[in-house]
Amino acid sequence: MTAEYSAVPRIAIAPARPAGKPALTGPRLSQARPVILPLMTAAVVLLVWQIVVAVLRIPAVILPPPAEIGYELWRVLPVLLHHAVPTTLDSLMAFFSASALGVGVAIVITYSPFLRDMLYPNLVLFQLIPKVALAPLFVVWLGIGSQSRVAFATFVSFFPVVISAAVGFANVECSALRLCRSLTASEWQCFTIVRFPFALPAIFSGMKIAMTMAVIGVIIGEFISAQAGLGFYILYASSRMETAVIFAALFVLCVIGVALFGAVALAEELVRRSYGRR
Amino acid sequence: MPVVGRERYVEVAEVSKVYRAGTAEAIEAVSSVSFTVPRGQFVAVLGPSGCGKSTLLMMLGGLESVTAGHIAVGGEPMTVPRTSIGIMFQDPTLLPWKSALDNVLFPIRVLKRPLNTYRDGARELLERVGLDGFMHKKPHELSGGMRQRVAICRTLVYDPELLLMDEPFSALDAITRDEMNELLLDLWQQYTKTALFVTHSIREAVFLADRVLVMTRRPATIVEDLTIPFARPRPMAIGESREFNAICGHLRERVGESRSRANGHRAEPNRARPGPAA
Repeated sequence: MTAEYSAVPRIAIAPARPAGKPALTGPRLSQARPVILPLMTAAVVLLVWQIVVAVLRIPAVILPPPAEIGYELWRVLPVLLHHAVPTTLDSLMAFFSASALGVGVAIVITYSPFLRDMLYPNLVLFQLIPKVALAPLFVVWLGIGSQSRVAFATFVSFFPVVISAAVGFANVECSALRLCRSLTASEWQCFTIVRFPFALPAIFSGMKIAMTMAVIGVIIGEFISAQAGLGFYILYASSRMETAVIFAALFVLCVIGVALFGAVALAEELVRRSYGRR
Repeated sequence: MPVVGRERYVEVAEVSKVYRAGTAEAIEAVSSVSFTVPRGQFVAVLGPSGCGKSTLLMMLGGLESVTAGHIAVGGEPMTVPRTSIGIMFQDPTLLPWKSALDNVLFPIRVLKRPLNTYRDGARELLERVGLDGFMHKKPHELSGGMRQRVAICRTLVYDPELLLMDEPFSALDAITRDEMNELLLDLWQQYTKTALFVTHSIREAVFLADRVLVMTRRPATIVEDLTIPFARPRPMAIGESREFNAICGHLRERVGESRSRANGHRAEPNRARPGPAA
């Protein structure tokens, strides 16, 4: 019980942190502060949550106390993990196809002024459409299988990669490109040796956004049509008024999201290091 | 001015460069410049900032096209960059993720020559410029002067016959700049390349060069072609000599003249003006 109790606050409650934080400004604590402060904040929020729910007698269907969520999480964890698999796999697939497609389109845009003028304004304009509204279309086009969810999630997460990669490729130090040209480097060499490495930080920042967008896209897809997956399970639990289970599923979803995001951040760090050493 | 030397290794004949941005008024950056350089000579091109001397150098390196006239190096017309020409730019343009040694070896990688054959040469060059202990340091760990030294090594590593230098030390402080000039002369004497060195520093030009060409402000033409009589090796101390200062004074006058003359003179688009001193 204590194990999940301490694990819950960090991620599940993080966005709901209130402004009133305990003041932790002592000079001795300043080093540990980045770790301790958010943990303590979350713990306090959970405690207040637990107390408020009890004192105001809020029914568990409306807002279950954290302790009950922890218990439910432990109880339905095998089921949740079962549903986590398709959600994770679909998200990863969408992320990889969005990254490849995004970088590919960005390369095309970078090297063909004609295609750039043709595509770029439309891409930016497309960004402004609430893409979530297009989710049902993908079901119409691709059916209710996982391909429609992957396609939709790809579609949602593709834009940040294109935009940031295109900006990254365009912002390469032109003196470095001039150096390449003076050495009679081919266009491909200029790209692999200079342009791509220079653009990597921008590409990765796009990919990090894409990763979170991919999870969102898959969950929305699962809301619309699915027989498995965490989105499906959340919908199922809500139809049975199992609010604590919804929260438990949300927690698992958060863990997955953090893990996937962390994986991209780790990949970025590894790439950065390999470039640092070579 | 009469041409010194028998051989015309670098030949610049009636070269003009006109920039035309859309329908806007054309800007003549270089106007009918002619000179030749025999093999092994160190020529400084002296002129005020933004007078088009960099444009001239970039045309010599094949990085800019000529609007009129023609340029030949080694008897062959210059149209695209060549590996027998090494260019040093105003900034060192090092790749931030590569060590000093790898930056020096960068041209070898681009030219797809065997790295192992050049590695010792690259080390030797770095030792030569006093960077023995810094071979594996990244550019951000080096000072400005050190970075420019790495850039010199990078230009020399693939053994080009002609060195084109575009104010390579203009971003350095005066003391470092003197050091770099001494180092450059030292290296140049050892490897004896033909060199064109663009600068707006009169003392730098006189100290380094066998011959100084004075260029006017836009549109750039050559108004003076002066042979510097000092024997080599040249110690830093010649900068204190009366003769050195007399030459500097004379050049300063010519640069000043050209400035006042150029003020009453607007760019004439579309028409190449015959250079007064060609």
